[in-house]
Amino acid sequence: MAVVTRRTFVKTGAGALGGAAAAQSFLFGASSPAGAGTPIALQAPVEDVVPTTCWIGKQDCGMLAHRVDGRVIKFEGHPANPRNNGTLCPKGQAQIVSLYDPNRVKWPLVRTNAKGEPGEWRRASWDEALEMTAVAVNEVRERDPSLVLWQKGRSKAKGFYDTAFVKAIGSSKLGHGAYCSDTGYRALEYTIGTHAVLHPDFRYTNFMLSWGWNITNAGGNKFCWLTWPQHMVKARDRGMKIAHIDPRLRSAGPFADEWLPIRPGTDLALALAMCHELIAQDYLDRPYLTAYTNAAFLVKSDGMFAKRTVGEGDEAEDLPLVWDEAVSAAVPFAEAQSPALEGSYDVDGERVTTAFDLFREHVAQYTPEWAADVTGLPAVQIRDVATEFGENAQIGSTIVVDGVEVPYRPVGIMAYHMAQQELGFQALRTMTMVPMLVGAVGAAGGQLSDFTWKIHNNYPKFEKFEVADPPYDFMLNNSKYFPINTGFPGMVAKVMIDPERYGVEDLPEVAILHMVNPLGSFTSQPEFLESYGKFKFVAVISPWLSETADYFADVVLPSATIEKYEGPISATNQYIEATTLRIPPMDPLFESKGEIDIYMDLSEKMGVLFGEGGYLDQVNGALGLEDDLSGFAIPTDRKPTVREIFDTWAKAQGIEEGVAFFEDPQHSVFVKGAMSPTKMYGYVTDPPFGGALHRLYGDSLLDAQRQMQAKGADEIYWQDYTALPTWRAPTMDQSPDEYEFYMISYHMIEHKQSRTSFIPLLAELAPGTRVDINPAAAARLGIEDGDTVTIESHNAVTGETRSMTTTAAFCEGIRPDTVGVPHHFGLWTHPQNEGQGPSPNEIFFTGEGYMAMTADQSFHVKVRISKGGDA
Amino acid sequence: MTKYAMIVDLNRCQGCRACMEACKIENNTSEAMFWMYVFRFEEGTYPDTRMSFLPRPCQHCDNAPCVKVCPTGSRFKREDGIVLTDPDRCIGCRYCELACPYGVNYFNWQKPQEAQYAEAIDWSDPDIQDATQGAVPPYKNPALDELWGTEQRRTAGGSHAKGVMEKCTFCVHRVEEGGQPACVETCPVTALRFGDVDDPDTPISRFIREHETWHLLEEAGTEPNVLYVGGKPPSHGYREVERPKARV
Repeated sequence: MAVVTRRTFVKTGAGALGGAAAAQSFLFGASSPAGAGTPIALQAPVEDVVPTTCWIGKQDCGMLAHRVDGRVIKFEGHPANPRNNGTLCPKGQAQIVSLYDPNRVKWPLVRTNAKGEPGEWRRASWDEALEMTAVAVNEVRERDPSLVLWQKGRSKAKGFYDTAFVKAIGSSKLGHGAYCSDTGYRALEYTIGTHAVLHPDFRYTNFMLSWGWNITNAGGNKFCWLTWPQHMVKARDRGMKIAHIDPRLRSAGPFADEWLPIRPGTDLALALAMCHELIAQDYLDRPYLTAYTNAAFLVKSDGMFAKRTVGEGDEAEDLPLVWDEAVSAAVPFAEAQSPALEGSYDVDGERVTTAFDLFREHVAQYTPEWAADVTGLPAVQIRDVATEFGENAQIGSTIVVDGVEVPYRPVGIMAYHMAQQELGFQALRTMTMVPMLVGAVGAAGGQLSDFTWKIHNNYPKFEKFEVADPPYDFMLNNSKYFPINTGFPGMVAKVMIDPERYGVEDLPEVAILHMVNPLGSFTSQPEFLESYGKFKFVAVISPWLSETADYFADVVLPSATIEKYEGPISATNQYIEATTLRIPPMDPLFESKGEIDIYMDLSEKMGVLFGEGGYLDQVNGALGLEDDLSGFAIPTDRKPTVREIFDTWAKAQGIEEGVAFFEDPQHSVFVKGAMSPTKMYGYVTDPPFGGALHRLYGDSLLDAQRQMQAKGADEIYWQDYTALPTWRAPTMDQSPDEYEFYMISYHMIEHKQSRTSFIPLLAELAPGTRVDINPAAAARLGIEDGDTVTIESHNAVTGETRSMTTTAAFCEGIRPDTVGVPHHFGLWTHPQNEGQGPSPNEIFFTGEGYMAMTADQSFHVKVRISKGGDA
Repeated sequence: MTKYAMIVDLNRCQGCRACMEACKIENNTSEAMFWMYVFRFEEGTYPDTRMSFLPRPCQHCDNAPCVKVCPTGSRFKREDGIVLTDPDRCIGCRYCELACPYGVNYFNWQKPQEAQYAEAIDWSDPDIQDATQGAVPPYKNPALDELWGTEQRRTAGGSHAKGVMEKCTFCVHRVEEGGQPACVETCPVTALRFGDVDDPDTPISRFIREHETWHLLEEAGTEPNVLYVGGKPPSHGYREVERPKARV
């Protein structure tokens, strides 16, 4: 399966050492310094290379596993993979240690003590562990499959796990999105229809707002850290300028041409002021706004669009109206020859105004001077950045890309995890309106989001919300609390603790946890400690004994790390389309198995592997093999090997060699070619922007608010469902003044969520937790660099306080009213975790006031800091 | 005649320390030893704060003070510019460590197999021994023990024996086979470049012609073969942040 290369290894023939001594020297090095003689190996080792992909991060960079006699000695970047171009980040390098870590779960474990405390285990056979899981899950499934919860943190083969397995057993599904940037995804789905957050077009962008982008430490929209910085340094070579908007400078390091140290949680205010300023200075792309957004729609005095019924019977449709200047009358948008972007008109006896005019009147209040008070940024800086954005947009210009003429607006925003704040939805919606005003969305050099203009099914769904009466399901879908609902594990935990409060009758009874560690990487921990104890049965599929498994697993099924077949894995870098697979560089260590094997085995035990609708059938569907017309589909009447599944899939892609193509280090990346401008740029897709009209005005949000009010939801749930994005102070600002700091958490380049801090090489680079604090602020409190300090957080809704102890790290690159804590630590099951310190997730809060209107976690809280504490 | 040099492009470096990690795994260095080290600096006071990163490998000086003070010829300079250590001649006097103004020499106080993260990982675990044929660390690179160059010495770092000095070798074992140093190869943003500066047609020679370069501690007269592009030399106003667990 791999290309073998040989190299002269033995270069001298001094046979002075015996075999045992030579082996000792080979393995451990000579134990004495000079004159110990020349160690030799008696046989030339066999060196070879196996292509595979990284397992640690989210973007699965291509790798070459260099082996000696079958032992992996190094991972290097795969040169042919467009995503990483032969390079690796520190995590990609260091994961070799986790491969060989004897602290992995070696064999299936069955709990022998009570749950809710550190686990005690006995070794079980796979057969027994799978049987226990199948019986426990099937018992619930036969009554109501939706009460089986399949929960994931990271899924590296969605077709096999999230789709096929979940469909085959009919379970409920919960992801990590509410702890990721999903409120941003919802905002983009609502505003422009793409399932994405924001990134620029680095090939052409000249001026970028790095809006909370952790440039030098973390990923962005769609990619891990590595691909974006590769694009960025090339853009810098072209002269691209960066205005960096973040309470911490560290995120941009030296790459901030200008730093706007914004107060946490006030991004909506800054975005509104930018809209104000762009309009005030007439940086407006009127043709775009008129043709591709709902800015020309006429709005009635009740805030809803003026509509007219067209057609009859089943064909009847209520179509929004615009003022057609060609005929001086209101007509449905699609029929208008010359829609008016501005103005008020009398239509059907009612005074109506264009959505654009309402937007302009609404943002008139949000001047840079007003925003300066809210954001803590100088008004002149806000005005200057808006001006620079407007000027650089070059409204009206075009460029030819690969033979296609495309509107050219070389300005864009990179924003991702900063969405995780209480006002995140409206902030991201407004941040999308900033490039919309200048016509940059979907333009060359402008604002991109997804790699193509595939419209997400939430876009039509969000046209009209149907808020239901209780009882609700345990995720609170279509509830009066969250008409837009990401699926929030923290809220599910709160519902499990107090179902009556949320109008829920049926709770999940068993859980299968896939590469997820709520207790270690989500917040807030008290809710998970209370709620996960209520599951009758929990099976954990993980290479490590996660903290959640430690407290709540009945059964732990050990999965392999990198040593398994998995995929298909996208290798696109935004501009080149490519696909690859994870190929095992060695057999699974210990008794671990790849997850696909585990799901096949578990499905077999549960009686859902074979036949129509079974797991194998669902895999065919998920991999696009279901129609069998090509002759390539996996059998549904016998259990294939995972390699056989990928062989079938590869052949269905037109790759004659099948999976062998991916096992060959000379190939192993299936490059489809350059991304066409007619896929990438919304203006030139067919239809333009994938057919989605961009929503400057959100009448369905206002309608949802009214439905929520009618059903008795409290203001804290409906207050942000507004047609126009509207500033209010975050709930945390209601904490008493003594909680003088905003606490934010952040990602370090050396770690990935809560699954790397126990890798000794990475813990050596970034050893433990700390709190970054401005020296001037610390001096007021008598705190010196390196002092032990206690951080106490306050919940402005409930009055609850929580505290943690850590070490002060002086930092001139952080606002004096803000402290930052990395979120990677606080684990306890691995020996390496000893002394690493706590996670800020222990003192954040979940729930009302600390989540967005879309049920997404906010990672902001007010805290006070004092010197001392139990380190 | 071939003359090797390295470029460190501070316009590109993101301070990610992948180079430190690639070096560690390639060269099997012990805990807290980093032949390549990346400083993260802060200067100024809020809000006029600036940050910078500074990768610092051995400078492979043409006028290398470490070579001059070595009493045994263990530390020597090759004709291609690479400064190397012969672990079999080193007597552990540490004169090189004192003479070097860059702080890139590391002394092995411990047996190397006892300094491989043993607090967190029990390498004697029989299942791991089976999988790795007993190698410690499990990614142990046999090439390091080979004899390299015309001098035919164990200059790739040998076996990190207790009582001897070690430092960056420019990955001589990779360069001898036509490869790039591990740090250069892994750098995600091409902040590191390596090659023959004697040949005017190599990419690195062209890069040098097109960019202004400077040396660390120019005033020391060491004539380094590591050239910096962009940024500026660190000054007294710099404060190091985010220090790893490293002997620096």
